[in-house]
Amino acid sequence: MSAPLASLLPLAQGDDFIQERTGTGCVQENGFFCAEWAFDNFDRYVTPLVEHLVLVSASVVAGLAIALGLAVMSHRRRWLVPPLTGLTGVLYTIPSLAFFIVLLPITGFGRTTAIIALTAYTLQIIYRNIVAGLDNVPAASKDAGRGMGMTDRQLLWRVELPLALPEIIAGLRIATVSTVAIATLAVFAGAGGLGDPLYADLTFRTNVLLAGGLAILMAIAFDALLVVAGRVASPWRKVRPV
Amino acid sequence: MSLALVSLGFLDAFTGAIDFIFNQRESTVAGDEVGGLAQIGDLTVDHLEVSAIALAGSLIVAMPIGVWLGHHGRGELLAVAIGNAGRAVPELALIAFMVAFVGVGLVNVSIALLILGIPPILTNSFVAIRQVDRDAVEAARGMGMSEPEIVARVELPLAVPTLMSGVRTAAIAIVATATIAPLAGVVTLGDLIINRNVYGDDGVLAGGILVAVLALAIELTLAGIQRLLTPRGLRLERAPARA
Amino acid sequence: MDAPAAKGDVGEALSVEFRSATKRYPGSTQPAIDELSVDVPAGEICVFVGPSGSGKTTAMRMVNRMVEITGGDILVGERSVRDRGPAELRRETGYVIQQIGLFPHRTIADNIAIVPKLLGWERERIDARVAELLRVIGLDEEIARRFPAQLSGGQQQRAGVARALAANPGVMLMDEPFGAVDPINRERLQNEFLRLQAELRKTILFVTHDIDEAIKMGDRIAILREGGRLAQYASPAELLMAPADGFVEDFVGADRALKRLSLMRVADISLWEAPLAFAGQATAEVRAKLDGAEVPHALLVDGERRPLGWLSEGDLEQPTVPQRPHTSPDPVLELDDVMRDALSDLLQAETRYAPVVDARRTIAGVLSVEIISEFLTSDEALVEEHPAAERPLAETEEAG
Repeated sequence: MSAPLASLLPLAQGDDFIQERTGTGCVQENGFFCAEWAFDNFDRYVTPLVEHLVLVSASVVAGLAIALGLAVMSHRRRWLVPPLTGLTGVLYTIPSLAFFIVLLPITGFGRTTAIIALTAYTLQIIYRNIVAGLDNVPAASKDAGRGMGMTDRQLLWRVELPLALPEIIAGLRIATVSTVAIATLAVFAGAGGLGDPLYADLTFRTNVLLAGGLAILMAIAFDALLVVAGRVASPWRKVRPV
Repeated sequence: MSLALVSLGFLDAFTGAIDFIFNQRESTVAGDEVGGLAQIGDLTVDHLEVSAIALAGSLIVAMPIGVWLGHHGRGELLAVAIGNAGRAVPELALIAFMVAFVGVGLVNVSIALLILGIPPILTNSFVAIRQVDRDAVEAARGMGMSEPEIVARVELPLAVPTLMSGVRTAAIAIVATATIAPLAGVVTLGDLIINRNVYGDDGVLAGGILVAVLALAIELTLAGIQRLLTPRGLRLERAPARA
Repeated sequence: MDAPAAKGDVGEALSVEFRSATKRYPGSTQPAIDELSVDVPAGEICVFVGPSGSGKTTAMRMVNRMVEITGGDILVGERSVRDRGPAELRRETGYVIQQIGLFPHRTIADNIAIVPKLLGWERERIDARVAELLRVIGLDEEIARRFPAQLSGGQQQRAGVARALAANPGVMLMDEPFGAVDPINRERLQNEFLRLQAELRKTILFVTHDIDEAIKMGDRIAILREGGRLAQYASPAELLMAPADGFVEDFVGADRALKRLSLMRVADISLWEAPLAFAGQATAEVRAKLDGAEVPHALLVDGERRPLGWLSEGDLEQPTVPQRPHTSPDPVLELDDVMRDALSDLLQAETRYAPVVDARRTIAGVLSVEIISEFLTSDEALVEEHPAAERPLAETEEAG
């Protein structure tokens, strides 16, 4: 067990944790979950938590913006859809850790690298969902809109995108949850996040449960938030025919 | 940092990594030789080995369940929930869990990767079977086909696109997570990244490049297999749903 | 609706003229619309009707440039449609389609307000207009806050029409607007629409495949045949009485004479004079009247000239006219009756003559089957006297 530990990349808080392990009973025996320790040391997880939040938020927002731009571009030029799907697909396929590593020589250690890679990862699912959502807009609404004198752009922003919103939200949910999970690897890009304490001591059970648990909770929270946001933004979905 | 310097720096690192892949050199830590095709080859094989075992395992476990549930139309909530939950599990946390609670070694890592592969395969199998044209199934039943025959001859062939896309998702997730398997004592290509002291900066970059290339290669291969397996009448343009 | 033309308000009805308008799609040998020339005066309803493939919808959509003409020109209010950008043109043209196309994600009020918003009206003006339209179109105020999915089909249709009327356009284009509704509601909507048109007097291009709807709704009808060629452009009366060729005749239907009658009221025809007789009058006078009269029977009326019944020959052999008639006057028709119904009453009662009374129930004349058939063969029958908005409306089962 010591082999992997011995060659850990030197990263932020790693040393502190290991030192702590020579302390109290529960911790010393590496019990399942040392509540007291967790309570006392919770503040150690705050910074990683915030970093993690920032990474996820920034990446998903950037991913949404880029995917939206791509979708708007390919909305009138359908021939763009297959190549863009393929391109975003490649970005999705490349394992995030590898992506971080490959970016390091270009953008160096830090948040930027992580965000670039995380953003790239979200593009495929968001792009696909925006395109699918736009495709599902009822033709009658589009015809009526155009016939009333809406320009293509007005039609897109006032009719098509709002109606595609449910599907876009669905894509955002998947992207966000995945990004929360993957951002734990951002520690390898020197960007902190919940992977930081996790990686600092993989053998410490309480640590693993705390860091991992927080990540999972964050994913759930984001998911719920997006569900609510989706409902608020599309009140017409709830109505039943009178 | 001007763009020129950045690109120069990148080129420099890049050539270093390529060199690492092909030529052996002396390690900065132990006196051993690192790098070179032979070692790369070994690492790649190890990587594929653990990935294959895990993928096969998750296929064996998840696909029958997914297909069964889909055929009978039950457990939709469960199938979808497991899919969502699987997406939320951080790979690092999973490996860490193994290290902290279960143990290290090939068996444990394979189990962890297997667990990672189950959700996409389960959910996609379920959805794939569900969305097979009900009329075709009814017709088959009316012709006297037994249930297993219906599954094998009607549902599965028609479900190939979505099924395979689930396999692809699982495979990529597994290969990606196998990269951090060295943390749990299983040496794979990820070792190049994790044990920087041994392999040096060139080794780390080489590891990143190799893992990326490996993942793309696997994705292409599976895409090819999918095309082979898809019945001719079903070669649709639309991308199958990745659940 | 009477407000002076403010910013973006279109106001008056405009004429529409097709001048040899042609539409040719690339790659096909036959044009979709072939040299169509139709002149629609302002304030009238022109119905485009024809079999499927006749291009009627295409022709309508050329007016607001949803389909671009490849030859000829179309003028709206004396201006070529190509004068301005399509979006600008469309904001001054009302557009109603069969599937309605309300925006599901907006309330009815927002849907109706779309073009005014595009034109930049102020908030208050828009709100006032929406309320007004809802009232005019017959929808409850509280519907404004609902979403389209919560409305019935008929309500959605009305909302679609309200939306097209919102910016007070000079021209309305309607493509089978009542097609997606059941027959009973369709009739109701048609009647209401005609009442609306009586008030608004818009220029309307109306597309339908149903010749009966065309006859009911149109001031003029343009019948198109396959390949987008005009078969006949005429008033409903002319169409029914003088179809241009075999195709039109077939399309209009074998019962075109009857169709004609349902467009008329009894008042539209010259009635025969009724030989009147008053109680106590000397029968000699009555017999003198009957001499050479068109109606060979005398009609007993009271002091107010209200018909009491017919007198027989025997009655007239008395020195004075009796108090009571020999036979009942029924069926007593009214000037306002739809001609077709009047004919039906006549036939059912098995009489040759029926007295016709006015609103005060005083005698106005006598109607007979002969008069009707004579009329149908006369030149008078070609003249359309009622604009669509004032056409007699069939009685529906529900009141109002």
